[in-house]
Amino acid sequence: MNKRTIFLLIVLLAAIGGGFAWKEYHRTTAKADELPVKETVNAQDLMTAFITDEDAATARFVGTTEQVVQVTGTISAIDPAGKLTNIVLGTDNDLAGVVCEFAAADVPADWRSGASVTIKGICTGMLIDVVLVRCTAVE
Amino acid sequence: MRNLRILPIALLIAPVALSAQERLATRTGHISFLSETPMENIVGDNHKVTSVFDATTGAIEFAVLIKAFEFEKALMQEHFNENYMESNTFPKASFKGKVTGVGEDELKKEGTYLISAQGDLTIHGVARPVTIKGTFMVDAAGAVKATSDFTVNAEDHGIKIPGVVRDKIAKEIKVSVKLDYAKM
Repeated sequence: MNKRTIFLLIVLLAAIGGGFAWKEYHRTTAKADELPVKETVNAQDLMTAFITDEDAATARFVGTTEQVVQVTGTISAIDPAGKLTNIVLGTDNDLAGVVCEFAAADVPADWRSGASVTIKGICTGMLIDVVLVRCTAVE
Repeated sequence: MRNLRILPIALLIAPVALSAQERLATRTGHISFLSETPMENIVGDNHKVTSVFDATTGAIEFAVLIKAFEFEKALMQEHFNENYMESNTFPKASFKGKVTGVGEDELKKEGTYLISAQGDLTIHGVARPVTIKGTFMVDAAGAVKATSDFTVNAEDHGIKIPGVVRDKIAKEIKVSVKLDYAKM
């Protein structure tokens, strides 16, 4: 292999490496429907898990790296908030529910309070509500 | 970390006898932070801030899940959670304190009120006493919005910034809080 070939190989490897680094640097966060589902649960059971043992529920549903939870439930409230919309799934606790944050454009137009829905989202934990972000609807 | 959940819930389920107290709450408050350097600007947004304000006593608390902060780039979010905030170990941040400058009487009339909130800001498991200036705005319909801008020094809360990236992270992080309260 002559020097010119070696030089071209080095340039090619540098270009591939640089391209990968550029792509990785500019990678955006994935929506829930772009990632595999780790857990499937209904809203009541999700809330109960966090209330019963927050640490265990955090380990299971939040995990150490981002993971998708698919949750079913009944819409108790739809709260627009600018470019976002919060879909609240009701539980037997009047004061708390599962809050699913959507980009406003991603909320199906026919969703209403009282509807039974299935949602995928990244679970981030619990304050008063269990919070899922980057949510998408499962049709 | 469990007690970060208990206080807001305790305020929410307080006995009916206390219903005469003016308590405001939100579960969808907004906190953003900006790290501004010549090398890079990093912005994080969290639209899931929980806050409770008791206008009778002046007690205020807000809490936020660290993993609910969102960034323009995935790598920023990963580094924020894994390297700086260690959010698997410290999943929440909070402020607990007392507000002066606004009370039940002010909340009954339209106006803008300058406030001061004194209390403990806990980030990365480290609590620091702070005094935060802000504003409460009451509109003609009685809606209450609270805003505040303040700065945080990450290293004051035990957040280690490696020397290699020191120039990419601002020493003073600008924090902006916007809370649209509703009566409980």
